[in-house]
Amino acid sequence: MAGLGTGRAVLFVVPALALIAAFLVFPALWTLYLGVLKYDLAGSNAAAPQFVGLGNYTDALTDPRFANSVLLTLAFVGLSAVLGQNGLGFLLAATLRRAVGWVRMLVNGLVLLSWILPGTVVVFLWQALLDRNGGTLNALLDTPGAAWTLDHPLATIVVFNIWRGTAFSMLLYSAALDAVPTSHLETARLYGSGPLRTFRDVVLPRIRGHILTNTLLITLWTFNDFTPYMLTGGGPEHRSETLPVYVYRMSIEGGQLGFGSAISLIMLVINLVIALFYLRLLRRRGG
Amino acid sequence: MATIELAALEKTYPGGVRAVDGLSLTIGDGEFFALLGPSGCGKTTLLRTIAGLEEATGGSLSIGEREVTRLAPGQRDVAMVFQDYALFPHMTVLDNIAYPLRIKRVARAARHEKARQTGDGLELAELMARRPAELSGGQQQRVALARAVVAHPSAFLFDEPLSNLDARLRLSARTFLKRLQRELGVTTIFVTHDQAEALAMADRIAVMEAGRIRQVGTPREVFGRPANTFVANFIGSTPMNLLPATVTDHRLLLAAGSLPAPSGLGARREVTVGIRPEYLDFSATAVPDALSGTVGIVEHLGTSSLVTLETDGGPIGVVVPEEAEPAAGSTGWAVPRPGRVLLYDNETGDLLPT
Ligand SMILES: Nc1ncnc2c1ncn2[C@@H]1O[C@H](COP(=O)(O)OP(=O)(O)OP(=O)(O)O)[C@@H](O)[C@H]1O
Ligand SMILES: [Mg+2]
Repeated sequence: MAGLGTGRAVLFVVPALALIAAFLVFPALWTLYLGVLKYDLAGSNAAAPQFVGLGNYTDALTDPRFANSVLLTLAFVGLSAVLGQNGLGFLLAATLRRAVGWVRMLVNGLVLLSWILPGTVVVFLWQALLDRNGGTLNALLDTPGAAWTLDHPLATIVVFNIWRGTAFSMLLYSAALDAVPTSHLETARLYGSGPLRTFRDVVLPRIRGHILTNTLLITLWTFNDFTPYMLTGGGPEHRSETLPVYVYRMSIEGGQLGFGSAISLIMLVINLVIALFYLRLLRRRGG
Repeated sequence: MATIELAALEKTYPGGVRAVDGLSLTIGDGEFFALLGPSGCGKTTLLRTIAGLEEATGGSLSIGEREVTRLAPGQRDVAMVFQDYALFPHMTVLDNIAYPLRIKRVARAARHEKARQTGDGLELAELMARRPAELSGGQQQRVALARAVVAHPSAFLFDEPLSNLDARLRLSARTFLKRLQRELGVTTIFVTHDQAEALAMADRIAVMEAGRIRQVGTPREVFGRPANTFVANFIGSTPMNLLPATVTDHRLLLAAGSLPAPSGLGARREVTVGIRPEYLDFSATAVPDALSGTVGIVEHLGTSSLVTLETDGGPIGVVVPEEAEPAAGSTGWAVPRPGRVLLYDNETGDLLPT
C-alpha cells in the first residue's frame, strides 16, 4: 500500500467510523430492536416492553392506514419530486440561461430563498397564504372561504414541496447544462437539428448522470420529508399522512414506540431499494 | 460548392464591440481562403457570422448566389469544424461521422455506409467503433473533418482546426487538409493566427486587424509585397526590417548607409524602408548600395541563420546560409536583392507604389 501505511491509515479513519457507529449504526440497531417489542410511551408496556417478534410488522402490513400512507407517499414523491421539482428545476435552468442578467439574478434569488428559509418560517408563510379567512391566495383568486388544506390536502403538500425544493434541481441542472460545450450545441444546429432533437441527441446523453443523481437525491429527501406535517398535520382523515407523518403520529402522538420503529425500518428498506435501483441505472451509463 | 460574398458585413456585439467592421469580400468557388490576424481581431466572429451562429448587425452575405444573411445556421448548407472538434463523447466514431445524415433522416444502413466510406478516405477505418475519448488529437481532428465532409456542404468553415495538435502533427495535418480540400473542391474558409500555416495552405489570405481587412492576396503577394506596415510586421517567420529613411535625388538615406531610390518619389521625403531578412544578402567586405553594421546575435534557423547587424539606425536582420555565418563582432554589409526594397508612407503606413 502506497502512502500512509495501514496503521496510520486506520488511525485516520477510526474517528469517523466511531462517529458513524455512535450516531448511525447504533440508532439503526436500536430501532431494529424496538421493532420487535411492544413498547409504548406510557402504561405497563413502557416499564416492561413485551417481546412480540414480527407482530408489529404483520400489524403494519395489514393496517389499511399503512397502505394508504404508502400510496400517499408514492404519489407525493412522484408528483412533487420526480415530476415537479425535476421538471420545473430543469425548465428554469434551461430558460434562465438565455435570460438577461437581472432577470436571471432575480429568479435565481427568489427560488433560492424558498430553499434556504427555515421550514417553520416557510410553513408560517404558507399558512398565511392558504388561510381560509383572509388568506392571500383566496384574496388573489377571489375565492373567499376556500379551505385549501382541507379540500385538497395532497395537492397542497405537493405544490408546497415543489415550491420548496425546486431550487436544488435548478442549481444542479444549471451546472449540468454549463458542462455541455457550446460548440456541441452549435455543431448540431449547423447540421440543421432543431432544439428538441439537439436536446435528445446532444444534451440528454451528457446530463443523464446528473438527472439520475438528482432524481435519487430528491426522491429520498421527499420520501423522508416531515414538513408536510407542519402544514396539514397529516389530515384531514389521513389524506396527507405520508410515511414519516404516519410514523410520528403512531409513535409520538399514539405512544406506540415499538410499532413506529417497525415502520421506520420498513421505510429504511424502501429507501434502500430506491437507492439501489438508481445506482444500477447510473452504473449502466454509457454502456 | 459555391462562391461566398460579403457586402459591408458588420457584427457589433451587444456590449458595443465592433468585431467585424464592414467587410466586403468575394471568395471564389472552390477556393481555400485563410483569415489571418492577431488575437481578438475578429476572425472567429467573422466565421461564426458566415455560419449564422452570430447574427450580422449590418450588410449582407450570400453563399452560392443565395442570400443567407437572415437564414438560420441549419439552412445555410455550411459545415464548421471547431477548435475543440466538438465530437459527441457518447457516440462512436461511426455515429459521430454519420450524425449530419441522421439529422437529414437518412436510413441507418445508408448513413453508416456513407460514413464508412468517408472515414476510409480519412484513414479512420480501424477506429469506427471507438469513442472520441479513445482517440489521439490528430485522429479526433480527422473525425471532425469526416463529419464535415459527410454533410456535403457548399462550404467548409474551419476555426483553427490545427491549433490543438503538436508541432509535428500540425505539419502533416496541413498537407492532409490541403489535399482533402483540393480533392473535394469545396470552398473553404480557414481561420488561423499562425501566418506560416496560412502561407502554406491558402490560395488567398485576408489579413485582418481590429475587424477590418488590411490586405487580401495570394501568399506570394502578402509575403513579398505587404500592403502596409501592419501586414509587413505580421507576416513572415522573421520580422521584416522596417527602417526610417529620407528620399533625396535618386538615393534613400538610412542611418546604416544609402540605397538607390526608385524613381518617381519626389525629393526630401521621409519614408519607411521595408526589407525582409530573407531578401538581404550578407557580405563580409564593403560593397556599394549596402547597409553596414556590427554582427551581433546569430540565431540558427536550421539550414540558415538569422544574423542581427547592429547599426546606427537600429538592428537589421539578415538571413545567411549556414556555411557563410559571420563571426560575432565583425563588420558586415547587407545588400538588398533587386526589386525587394519596399517603401511605406510614414503617415498612413501604406505601401508606396514603386
Ligand atoms: N460573445 C461576445 N460578446 C462580446 N464581445 C465578443 C464576443 N465574442 C468576441 N468578442 C469580442 O470581439 C472581438 C473579436 O473576437 P474574436 O473571437 O472574433 O477574435 P479572434 O480573431 O477569433 O481571436 P483569437 O485568435 O484569439 O481566437 C474581441 O475583441 C472579443 O473580445
Ligand atoms: Mg478565434
